[in-house]
Amino acid sequence: MTESAIPRGTAQFQLLERCVFVDQEVLRAFAEVQPAVTVVAVGGYGRRELFPCSDVDLLLLVDSFAEAAAGKDAISRFQQQLWDAGLRVSQSVRTVEECCEIHEGNLELTISLLDHRYLAGDERRHRALQERFPKFITRERNGIIRHLCQMTHTRHAHYGSTIYHLEPNVKEHPGGLRDLHVLHWLSLLGVSSTDAHDDARLKDAREFLYPVRIALHRNSARDNNLLSFEAQETLSEDPASWMREYYRNAREVFRTVSHALYKAESAESGLLAQFRERRARLSNSEFTVSRERVLLREPGLFESDSSAAMRLLQFVARHHVRLARDTEKRLGSALSRFQAQHSQSGSAWRAWMDLLKLPGSASAFRALHEAGLLTSLIPEWARIDALVTRDFYHRYTVDEHTLVALESLEALGAANGNTLERRFAELLHDAHNAALLRLALLLHDIGKGGGTGEHARQSVEIATNMLGRLNAPAADQETVLFLIERHLDLSSVMNTRDLEDPATARFIAAQMGTVERLVLLTLLTYADISAVNPQAMTPWRLERLWRLYSVGHYEFTKELESDRIHSGAADPETAQFLEGLPVRYARTHPPERIQSHVALAREAAASGAVARILKENGFFRAEIASRDRPFLLASLSGTLAGFGMNISRAEAFSNGRGICLDTFVFSDPHRSLELNPSETDRLADMLRYAALGTLDAEQLLRSRPKPSRRHGAEVEHSVRFNNDASENATLIEIVAQDRPGLLHDLAQAISSAGLNIEVVLVNTEGHKALDVFYVTRERHKLDAAAGSALEQILRSASG
Amino acid sequence: MKKIEAIIQPHKLEDVKKALTGIGIDGMTISEVRGHGRQKGHKEVYRGMEYQVDLLPKVKVELVVPDTRFEEAVQTILLSARTGKIGDGKIFVSDVREAIRIRNEDRGEGAL
Repeated sequence: MTESAIPRGTAQFQLLERCVFVDQEVLRAFAEVQPAVTVVAVGGYGRRELFPCSDVDLLLLVDSFAEAAAGKDAISRFQQQLWDAGLRVSQSVRTVEECCEIHEGNLELTISLLDHRYLAGDERRHRALQERFPKFITRERNGIIRHLCQMTHTRHAHYGSTIYHLEPNVKEHPGGLRDLHVLHWLSLLGVSSTDAHDDARLKDAREFLYPVRIALHRNSARDNNLLSFEAQETLSEDPASWMREYYRNAREVFRTVSHALYKAESAESGLLAQFRERRARLSNSEFTVSRERVLLREPGLFESDSSAAMRLLQFVARHHVRLARDTEKRLGSALSRFQAQHSQSGSAWRAWMDLLKLPGSASAFRALHEAGLLTSLIPEWARIDALVTRDFYHRYTVDEHTLVALESLEALGAANGNTLERRFAELLHDAHNAALLRLALLLHDIGKGGGTGEHARQSVEIATNMLGRLNAPAADQETVLFLIERHLDLSSVMNTRDLEDPATARFIAAQMGTVERLVLLTLLTYADISAVNPQAMTPWRLERLWRLYSVGHYEFTKELESDRIHSGAADPETAQFLEGLPVRYARTHPPERIQSHVALAREAAASGAVARILKENGFFRAEIASRDRPFLLASLSGTLAGFGMNISRAEAFSNGRGICLDTFVFSDPHRSLELNPSETDRLADMLRYAALGTLDAEQLLRSRPKPSRRHGAEVEHSVRFNNDASENATLIEIVAQDRPGLLHDLAQAISSAGLNIEVVLVNTEGHKALDVFYVTRERHKLDAAAGSALEQILRSASG
Repeated sequence: MKKIEAIIQPHKLEDVKKALTGIGIDGMTISEVRGHGRQKGHKEVYRGMEYQVDLLPKVKVELVVPDTRFEEAVQTILLSARTGKIGDGKIFVSDVREAIRIRNEDRGEGAL
């Protein structure tokens, strides 16, 4: 690097000027004191990048320590002169041999010698260094590289491995100047990991970061590298957009250094590498995984089949791997091409949904974002790329916030321990439209780039365009847009309304319209708050949000009996089916499921009864439509128990035409359905016979071995009657230790007492069964005497 | 000087803050707390079953004011935090012996 190559006035020129000035001071002091050493500039000073208040790193070469001891006074005076000239000198006295040795725990010394420059004294020693140091480096190269990579990983981890700090340290933080140095050192060590494109971007980053550090040093008159809020305001009139530049540059540096570390470590062998290699078994016919990064088996894959780009994203989402450099380069154009070619046919939308259905889809978006490719998938993403929200609460830029929100949702899936988080996790597990929820989350803040303050509205506009472009079905569009438009509503209700006030519950129910929407928006709010900063979702807020959800949910589902649907559905068959069902039914089932029930009821009307079994989310769901009859629930639950199935949830509703719809969610602890494919059909047949009344479930149950009583924590049993909960039915709530056949025994006992079961809601939590029955006798509530008689019967039945 | 600790309903926080700022009191510490007085929690219904929730989320506002402003501050909190229902919260008042600003060691009311 020569003086003439650097344009005057640039930051690098200023560093060079400083360096020339310091060189003169060193030479002057040397001439005056004449110490018996060779003075060599190392580190930043060695490569002529000396920031105003940085240490001046000097290596003083001596022939032997005896010589150094003899010349100690002169060395001290030399050093004193430099201090008096106002330079912060940091020096080490070494022999050439010492410079060419590994110093455990002091890799910095070896690294600093990579940039060395002769200043003064006996040139012979410097020539010896020049001759021997490269040989030493060649010999020890692998070990030095490994140490350097480790040091860098440790430093990154120390700062949370993220560039997103509200007040970043421009030298030490990930994406800062130290990472640029690492790239420089790696290239001196022979690891060349950048191409012309990277070099151009790194040059931009250098040109941004250098002046910042110079200004920080000048303004605080010390080696200060912290870009505090105050400093941001001093350095720019528009700190928010200026910091956006900072983050963009830091991201480039961080990304490039991550790739360089990966490349440098690829040469390394050892246990970690072997473990990582094991991930290679994830490879399939299109993609192969090497050291946690995905490569294409056939480099031309995307050219021949652009839809492979979306499959690659699914692969990343399934296995949480990252993109290899070469894959990144090929992916961007393939994604744009795929969407342009396939939007019209709807296959782009299907590919989107296949990706978003995966709980790990966040990692695909993260990988794209790291590679700067998310705009190929969502051009509108450019609006929020590195956009800064400048307040004390938002730790992240808008794009990072969005990705962290998606990741919070994913982390929820693995929640355990804290019971409240578990409940949110259950909501997510049961959510019918988690893919649409993830899409809404991805787009919820995309309108923030507009700067008008009305970002929800703008996000809706942008999302409308995007959904239209992808040819998304109308119902899906409606759900996504609803969630985006209302994404602040629950937070606002949580903070400004009295959750104990019945008016609040009514307000929430009216705003949300259906339970499904309430569930999705609750989850979106959870993720949105969690992604404000790592501490934002306090247990206190979590509790408030849950309370809000539960009062809303209760409001939706409380009118089990009194409110029956009087449908105005456009399609007469649907209207006929819905007529007389409890309002709860419509609010708790998504439209697709209602349509499938309409079809089921149609078949039942023709054949008397129909049953089907579906597998979903690791559970089975049995749906039985039939004419209502006494002992129906007891027969069905008895049949399931007779087959050894474990009922975890159940509901039963009947409509105005006497068609009863019973749903059971159950697990198959003995895996008999899984191991015998024909068994599913047989169980469905048996359920149908049970519904028709031609199968004796009692007989089936008797043939099962009696379960042994479980030891351990016993559940406290309770049976409670409530005549006020509903206008025309008596509510019975039963808590009991769960056991096979429990639901059958309870239903049998109720039916034997001559009662009609109007609605059933059954749930289990661990070994605790929570059963709610709405019962009537000849269409009326029970009187007190009948109630207490039944209570006795149920107590013995549930025991 | 008096220290005022007000335990209030979370949804009343914005109103209380606004009212206090309105009479020129800006300095306060706010924390998310849980507890119960006579309100004693509530029943929560989840998947058809009731759960007892014992400790309710509340917000605690703490401020230290000169003796001359103390009545006014308490009145302001009372008016802005009240809904008239059980669970509105409580205000506790105590004497403060000294206030010291860490930056420059100002003492007494001047440090508030």
